[in-house]
Formats: sequence, structure tokens, C-alpha cells
Amino acid sequence: MSSEDANPAATPTPGVDTQGDGRWMSLHNHFVSNSKDKEPDVLFVGDSLVQLLYQFEVWQDLFSPLHALNFGVGGDATQHVLWRLSNGELGHISPKVVVLWVGTNNHGHTAEQICGGIMAIVQLIKDKLPKAYTLVLGVLPRGKMPNPLRERNAQVNKLVQEAVSSLPHASLLNVDPGFVHSDGSISHQDLYDYLHLTPQGYQAVCQPLHAHLKGLLEKQAEN
Amino acid sequence: MSGDEINPAAVAQAVEDVQGDDRWMSQIWRELFSPLHALNFGIGGDTTCNVLWRLQNGELDNIRPKVRFNWASTGPEREKSTAQGNSFVPVMHFIQIRTPNQYLIGPLQVTVVWVGTNNHEHSAEQVAGGILAIAQLLTSRLPKTKVVVLGLLARGDGPNPLREKNAAVNGFLRSWLPRLGQAQFLDVGAGFVHSDGTISTRDMFDFLHLTAAGYRAIAKPLSDLLLQILDETPEEKRASLV
Repeated sequence: MSSEDANPAATPTPGVDTQGDGRWMSLHNHFVSNSKDKEPDVLFVGDSLVQLLYQFEVWQDLFSPLHALNFGVGGDATQHVLWRLSNGELGHISPKVVVLWVGTNNHGHTAEQICGGIMAIVQLIKDKLPKAYTLVLGVLPRGKMPNPLRERNAQVNKLVQEAVSSLPHASLLNVDPGFVHSDGSISHQDLYDYLHLTPQGYQAVCQPLHAHLKGLLEKQAEN
Repeated sequence: MSGDEINPAAVAQAVEDVQGDDRWMSQIWRELFSPLHALNFGIGGDTTCNVLWRLQNGELDNIRPKVRFNWASTGPEREKSTAQGNSFVPVMHFIQIRTPNQYLIGPLQVTVVWVGTNNHEHSAEQVAGGILAIAQLLTSRLPKTKVVVLGLLARGDGPNPLREKNAAVNGFLRSWLPRLGQAQFLDVGAGFVHSDGTISTRDMFDFLHLTAAGYRAIAKPLSDLLLQILDETPEEKRASLV
């Protein structure tokens, strides 16, 4: 029996419409059909931190020029991203790099389970896009002051780092520029609700990410 | 609203260039609402109950800006788990940077209320009642302050029960609010639903939250109304307001 059966974070699961307007599936369908005439070099996939990135100037400045597509869905946990990528979102595109940023919404899961979910996505991408490189972004700290979710997220990053260290087609990039201050607090100027990034927060995250991405794309071009 | 039906030659260049452009989001607040000395107390996911609680527990106590926005931005339900509460309020961060101290310049003249789309457990009539209760609280605590209630927007990719519910809420508000005297209803949702019943992700990136283009579309009629209200209050009267 594979461990995925026992790990809810690694079991493809569609989003459930609890509100009444079916937006999760609408977004998924929109991504699938939207990708049909695009040829992105980079695909960003994940949760709200990916989704909102598209709404800010930094996307146009840094990632549009790299021919990037954005398949972020707010609220998504690893099992939702796994479902989306298994059900059409990778069907019409062959990006050279997939940027994966997910894990903070896996409520009720252990750090081990979340790592398992992230690694299941990495494996799926390898299966569907054998030539693509997956760049996993570290899960950010959250909450105004120290709390269990910060510890969980840090542990996820540690486990993922270990898991990808032996893989030639994936790596983990820590994009936290130091959001947690010496007194343990996070500033609303970086994370306006202590979870989501302000433009300033995005700038701090995206500058190094962009540089790293460009390096990866250049390496991919050489292969 | 996404620009398809508009003559491109009659549209200022900046309108074309809003998709994903943070400058427009900040520019909307900076250009239209900042000069009105506005504060924003929006929290993603809030229901009418949450907003009521916040207003009853300190948010009205210490500040007297000219215009305050009380809007509960849309977001996933909170009762699913206390650890959730992801909110999609790109516009919010611009407001949190300001401190109340900067705005001890004059009495509160207008409060803008925008809430109700997250009240998933409540009927349309209940939701309208909750919004009315907020308006009543504001007019009783701040008798000289006008209240502008924004209509709930349509949501979802195509027709669905929540659109009907939000429209019903707006219907109740249209008839109830004028009875409060100091409160009025403003519908800013015209144009978001296309003739085929769809909403474009260029206006609402997840069929719920507004893009920069979407915000600009609603900000104009709102700022026009606010300017009109602020103009209606003569200088001498403003000086005597507490």
C-alpha cells in the first residue's frame, strides 16, 4: 500500500463548494481552457500567495517578461493543487519551470503529511512534464506573534529540503527575507493580515525569486 | 466592464493598462479616497456579525476622520476552522499603514459600509437586517454622520443562488435604508454581469474579489457620491460637529 492512501495531504481532492457559487471549479476550468493557446516558460501554482501575486505590479514587472502563467487559488492546500494538476491544468502546456508555493492551508495535517503532499506534487509534475524543473518555495511564517503554525511551516520546509536534496529536477528556495522580527512579531507592513503579502512584502520575496528563476531558465535553455 | 464593449479610441490609456498592475490599486485609494482623509477597517471574510462586533468593541471610539470605510471584504467562511481566514483584500494593506493619529482633523462625516456577501448561514432578509443593524448602530452612535451602504455584488462565473440572494439583499436595503434618514444605498454592481450571464476574471479574479479594473469601476461612482455628500456639509456646520 502506498503512503499516499494514508496521507490526506497527498490524496488528490477537488475543492468543495461550501458557499453556493461553484467558484473553485470555475477557476479550475478557467485555468484549463485559458492554457490552451498559451506557451508559458514558467508556471506558478499554489494558493492565495500565488493567486494574489498576479494582481500586483510585481507580476507585470518581473514575471510577465518570463512568460509566466498563474494557477493560484486562494485557500488551496496540497491535495487541491494535486487534484488540479492531475485533472487538466498541465494538459496543454510545457513550462520549463514550475514554481510551487503551497502548504500553509493544510489545516489539520502534520508537517510530515504536508511534506508528503508537496512531494506528491513534485512527482506528478515529473511524470507529466519530464523535462520541467520544479522550484518549491518555502512556506512563510504567519500570525502576528509565535504560534504553532509557524513551527509547523518551518518543519515542512526542513522536511521538503531534505526530500528534494537528492533530486536533480527539484529544489526548495527559502523566500522569507526575515519577516519575523527579533521580538517574534511580524509586521502588517509586510503581511497585512499576518498571512498575505503587501506590495512591499512581495517585492522582498520576488526579487531573489526572480533572480533564481532567471538562472534556472538559463540552465534549462542550455540542456 | 472588462473593456470589450468600449470604444478603445474613447478610453484613456491608463484604463487599458490595469490588469495585475499594483499602481492602479494604490492609485485608486491615493487619488480618490486619500484626499478625503479616509480610513479603512475592512477584514476579509467578515460577516455582518463580525462588523457589528468590531464597531461595538472599540473601532468607533477614538478616531474622527472625515470618511471611514467599514467594509468586510469577501473571503472564505471563517467558521470552517479558526485557523483559516485567508482573505483576498489587495486594497486593504494600503489602509493599515495609516494610523488614526494622522486624522484628528475633523468630525466623521460619512461611513461607507460594504458587507453581507459572506453571511452564508443567513437568509437574504436576515443579511439585510444585519446590514441595517450596522447602519442603525452608526447613526445612533454618530448622529451627524451619513451612512452609505454599498450594494452586494454579483459573484460566481455564471448564474447561481448566491447572485439571487445578494440581489434580494439589495432589494431589501433599497426599501429599508431610506427610512433611517441619514443612510442611503448605492448600487455599484452595474455592468459586471455580461449579457451571457458570465462575470469576467478581468473584473473579479476569482469571480468574487475585484481586480484593479473592477475596483476602479466601483470607486468612481462611490467617490462621486462621497464628494457630493462632503460638499453638502457647509464649512460652518462642519466646525460645530463633534
